[in-house]
Amino acid sequence: MFSVAKADRRRRPAVGIGYRSAIAEWTRANLKCFDLLEVTIDHCIYGSATQRAEIFDFVGRIPINAHGIGLSIGTDVPLDLAYLDQVAAIVEQLHAPTYSEHLAFTRVPGRDLANLLPLPKTIAAAESIIAKVRTVQSRIGVPFLLENISYAFEWPDSNLSDADFLNLICRESGAGLLLDVENLYLNAQNHDFDAYEFLDNLSPDTVREIHMAGGIAISDDGLQRSFLADTHSHPVPDETLDLLEYALSLYSPQTIILERDDRLDETGEILADVERIRLCVDRWSKHA
Amino acid sequence: MHKAEGLLDRQTRLLEYLTSGEAIFGDVGSPSRNPLLQGFDRALLHIEARFSHEKRMEKIAAVFPKTFALLGDDRDAIVREFVHACPPVDISRLENARQFYNFLISRWDNRPPTLRYLPDVTTCELAVAQVRIGADSPLPVAKRPTHKRPAHNRPSEIRRNPLIALLHTRFDVRPIFEGKWGDFSPIERVVPLAISFRAGEIGIFELTPEVFDLLAALDAWVAVDELPNAEGLIADLGEAGLLEERR
Repeated sequence: MFSVAKADRRRRPAVGIGYRSAIAEWTRANLKCFDLLEVTIDHCIYGSATQRAEIFDFVGRIPINAHGIGLSIGTDVPLDLAYLDQVAAIVEQLHAPTYSEHLAFTRVPGRDLANLLPLPKTIAAAESIIAKVRTVQSRIGVPFLLENISYAFEWPDSNLSDADFLNLICRESGAGLLLDVENLYLNAQNHDFDAYEFLDNLSPDTVREIHMAGGIAISDDGLQRSFLADTHSHPVPDETLDLLEYALSLYSPQTIILERDDRLDETGEILADVERIRLCVDRWSKHA
Repeated sequence: MHKAEGLLDRQTRLLEYLTSGEAIFGDVGSPSRNPLLQGFDRALLHIEARFSHEKRMEKIAAVFPKTFALLGDDRDAIVREFVHACPPVDISRLENARQFYNFLISRWDNRPPTLRYLPDVTTCELAVAQVRIGADSPLPVAKRPTHKRPAHNRPSEIRRNPLIALLHTRFDVRPIFEGKWGDFSPIERVVPLAISFRAGEIGIFELTPEVFDLLAALDAWVAVDELPNAEGLIADLGEAGLLEERR
């Protein structure tokens, strides 16, 4: 069986893409271009038979990371243990070395926004998440990672910085961080903070995996300037690649995943982005 | 929003706001008067509400492309009404589509659409989506219907393929699903239909009333011997993927 040791041996992170069923055939044909795939756990649980078969067909052919979108760990209710048990079974079947989810909430009982929303960055919210992470860790047989999300708005009572909130949760729970560099770039632009300072302030040993993507700028009558949206639809911006290179100088992630959810027919852009990420890794490794 | 409230209460009230017409469209008065929003940046809440709404409507439009096209100038007003009447309760495309369908049918009961055949188109589109998803799920019992079999290997029992949809339409809207648009106007007549999904293709079949009733009655396995002189019909229905057979 494969493992991400492929990256460890070279002391370089493995580079791959988030698998999407819409480009299943293309992914199979271009598998040699990637060191690993990241699979969305929820597609294995709720997807069609075809989707599931396509995903499990990759097991043993390429290393697979497991990523979730359905936990809503931030909703202030007990975790759905039945869902977690399904996740545990899928993680095992995929032979995934980690399981990651978003530090966010998407729903409350009776209403589901189906979009990742931020939590108030407070000690109380962090304590609630820490307890839930321990529950996840008790039911899933691989390390659990939390991902920083992009957010449009802040809770008025947030009194911790993004980095302090993540550091506190990761330190106290033992969770790793899936650092989404594009989300960091978007948040820094939209909310006027220094992304490099954020990276300087993160605990170095927390970052285990990295996400990359490209979004769009949108305008709205109520906004004085464009808002950058995390649409996973366009090439990775140069600014995000610069942040990746800086992040690589600070941390030792095992994997870097390019996420793409829209304009998937532009497969040339996907391959070009993977190459740009690899070049970034090359530049870092020459200086390391 | 009061800090003394529990986080779940605050999350609930925030989601209620983000899924409201006020947040999505700026429909009702000045949001600054809403005590829930104290301290939040209203413009950014609107961005979040708009994003989430657009993603939800993309899911729904993917199930009802013909309906959305045929709604024409009424579409925006209908979507606004839908937002007010039906907040999102589930992440899945099909569940959101069902919500939209139920809303439309209820609305059209009171205010029939200009295009009188539109409810039939919408019903067929939802059935197509359900059949497509159902057909791609693991079959709970029997194998999928097979192609023509040797005459000596007849099934001993049959039932309706549980993954097909049976419905009546008031207009013959099948040509719309075969690409006829523009000035085309469906003929008004009751049409018994079966919708199936085989080999990656959606099939929309017009049935005779007798065959429709037969398929509708075949919920459970029935011995072929109980259907005398139906060998040819059973073979045809099996070929079309409308029947399941076991030997």
